[in-house]
Amino acid sequence: MSEVLTEFIRALRAADVRVSISESIDAGRTVELVGFDNRQVLKHSLGQVLAKTEEEKLSFDETFDKFFAFDQFKPPPKREDGPGQAKDGEGEGEKSESGQDAPSDGEGGEEGGAPSMPGQSSGGDGGAPQGAQSGGKPGGGPVNEGDVRQAGPNAPGGQNLLEMLEAGDAAALQMALAEAARRTQLNRIRLFTQRGMYVRRILEEMGLETLDQAIETAEREGTEAGDARGQEIREMRDGLRAQVRDYVEQQLELYTANAGKRLREEVLSQVRLSNVDHRDAKVIRQLVKKMAKKLIALNSRRKKRTLRGQLDVRKTIRKNIEYDGLLFDIVWKSEKVDRPKVMAICDVSGSVAQYTRFLLMFLYSLSEVLPQVRAFAFSGRLGEVTDLFEKEGIEKAIAETMHVHGGGATDYGMALEDFADLALDDVDHHTTVIMLGDGRSNNANPRADILDKIHDRARRVIWLNPEPKSLWNTGDSVMRSFTPHCDRAQTCASLKDLERVVSELLRTAV
Amino acid sequence: MKPEDEIQAVREGFAKGGYICDKQIATSIFLSRKLGKPILVEGPPGVGKTELAKATAEYLGQELIRLQCYEGVDEAKALYEWKYGKQLLYTQVLKEKLGDLMEGTVGLKQSMDRLHEFDDTFFSTEFLEPRPLLKALWSEKGAVLLIDEIDKSDDEFEAFLLELLSDYQISVPELGTIKAKSTPIVFLTSNNSREIGDALKRRCLHLYIPFPDSKLENDIIKARVPDVEEGLRKQLVAFVQGLRTLELKKHPSVSETIDWARTLVLLHAETLDAELVRDTLNVLLKFQDDIENVDGEINALTTQAQKASA
Ligand SMILES: Nc1ncnc2c1ncn2[C@@H]1O[C@H](COP(=O)(O)OP(=O)(O)O)[C@@H](O)[C@H]1O
Ligand SMILES: [Mg+2]
Repeated sequence: MSEVLTEFIRALRAADVRVSISESIDAGRTVELVGFDNRQVLKHSLGQVLAKTEEEKLSFDETFDKFFAFDQFKPPPKREDGPGQAKDGEGEGEKSESGQDAPSDGEGGEEGGAPSMPGQSSGGDGGAPQGAQSGGKPGGGPVNEGDVRQAGPNAPGGQNLLEMLEAGDAAALQMALAEAARRTQLNRIRLFTQRGMYVRRILEEMGLETLDQAIETAEREGTEAGDARGQEIREMRDGLRAQVRDYVEQQLELYTANAGKRLREEVLSQVRLSNVDHRDAKVIRQLVKKMAKKLIALNSRRKKRTLRGQLDVRKTIRKNIEYDGLLFDIVWKSEKVDRPKVMAICDVSGSVAQYTRFLLMFLYSLSEVLPQVRAFAFSGRLGEVTDLFEKEGIEKAIAETMHVHGGGATDYGMALEDFADLALDDVDHHTTVIMLGDGRSNNANPRADILDKIHDRARRVIWLNPEPKSLWNTGDSVMRSFTPHCDRAQTCASLKDLERVVSELLRTAV
Repeated sequence: MKPEDEIQAVREGFAKGGYICDKQIATSIFLSRKLGKPILVEGPPGVGKTELAKATAEYLGQELIRLQCYEGVDEAKALYEWKYGKQLLYTQVLKEKLGDLMEGTVGLKQSMDRLHEFDDTFFSTEFLEPRPLLKALWSEKGAVLLIDEIDKSDDEFEAFLLELLSDYQISVPELGTIKAKSTPIVFLTSNNSREIGDALKRRCLHLYIPFPDSKLENDIIKARVPDVEEGLRKQLVAFVQGLRTLELKKHPSVSETIDWARTLVLLHAETLDAELVRDTLNVLLKFQDDIENVDGEINALTTQAQKASA
């Protein structure tokens, strides 16, 4: 069975499509039968062989599209000018759009985009297409083509990278890319920070060096044609690099999206919140829920410890004095676990828009865990959303909060005044106050003095700012006037940060 | 021929016979023939699962052999039965001839041996009543075997089918192994009234037929109810497509769209209006609940559908 197929089946399994041994053998026969040339036929065929429920079919389609991203390699436009080839390509396109093709297929176009005409790339109609591509510089093409040919074998399979690029042989390039990805074990990619490394390795694997050589050879000539040729290859190389980068990006998503939900969570929790887009909101919610559960578990574990606590010798003796030292009534040391009382104030203004949705989701889940969370939201004016959070589902609560309080211009001063009116009296030495916001006050008076008052009364004040510390105090950020009144002020730009803050909160709040 | 051309040929062949399908469906026919694997067809009722088997038989010029499953269907009904009546009759005849037959035998032992020679006769294919599965195996020219609504049978029967479908042969205790003379194309259909077992699914290609989109449904109506004018056709299809977006006990299927189109033709309707829809809605919706529940939406859906023909 082809390595690419093996790899694909692995990706499918990671996407919760169950594939048995016998089915993978069937898949091998199927690929032998239909080949990799026609993307749609391949997709339909493998889909019927490998995905056996409606859900599996959904996963299959998604995984297939990411894995066999044939349309990454669009044949360069020059092909259309080339005699013969262009005709071929059009023929394919016509067929796919013909007659009764259901529009829902939506793939008619893609099908055309994956022309694979074996041997096309080695087709030797001289410098004609090349000339066209190099902007009609006469002479340049043919001469250099000779140079290029030396760089690698012409046999199918071991096809020269430059030839494939020049021929715009999408299917061959795709296979070469998939093969290089396999050899560099791209399937192990888990973190977005690894992208660059994989892009480089894959390019090397595909024969980047031959391109560099070809550029050098061309440019060493010192002729105008040579320079043009060098530039031409350079552009192809850059195009290829961009395509490989896209591919790596997709694969990262593929493997992180699918390699077990846990891995995804792990990866997600390291992704900066601003990168977490709308589509992932659902996953975040699950993650937050799970984190919330974990927090509950932590709590109850600590409780249990108090149940089988140690003997409190002093108290026991004092209590049993009346029994002449006979120890009737035994007193155990109990570690009293108070659930912290939390007031959370969330900035939902425009400047933190990409974070608030997440922060509110987190807040919401948190208030499910800790019964004594009071939640406030503000842009300009501040309002309490505790009831809303208690009564409504997360979606509605967040939408409502955003609707009522969201999106406006920030005014920390006004918000703190409102908070003081609403809740300052209830802040006591059991209370932890959490500020979620970027501390950008639109040049209005931030009223740090109110925060100071809050700090005086509260157990602690924690400020979580989604911006990295390097941005604090730049522009209209007035973090410097707030931080003196905080017990802790830290960047909170990822789930990991938040998780740490929260567990610390639970551990230390007495 | 390239696979995509063969698939296209299937589509066109089907269309000639009045079965209109997308590439996905045609691909499964192509694959099934090439790989020799059965196709498990799932999807809501009335989307043409059964029809697909019929269309395939017609397209290939092969006999369609159908096994309709039901609760309690068993080997005897699916594979073969002995013709007891015929066996009994022969026994009667034999009795009369018994004297002649036993002539020359000495003692019980020899008589029994002589009798045993007839066992084979009684349990020969002569006395076998083939049921659909065996018919399919015996078919000389190859057949299309439709095992319809497998979800209505029980697990036990499913396990039995598994054996048959794994290598198109079956062992009959009295006869030994019967092997398919030529591999039939096998369709199993299911309306999802229960989960089909994993083992069976692994053995089959899996084709899911959803409700058609409006382009495909228009083509189906055009083929099936040629009398309906284009404008009305577009409207009625758009209306049905709209109905399917509503929360209903049972969504109208292709078969209902066809029936409705025919009804509207009989009524000489030229265009859809709310009153006409109300009068004929029971053709589309089978539950009174559904009919009542959509009543409030009819005006909007009709207006929307009218735009479709514009
Ligand atoms: N794609 C199609 N082309 C033509 N007729 C169709 C199509 N799909 C369904 N029909 C018609 O709809 C009716 C119901 O189809 P049927 O095969 O019995 O559905 P199922 O077996 O899925 O319940 C049949 O009369 C059939 O002719
Ligand atoms: Mg049916």
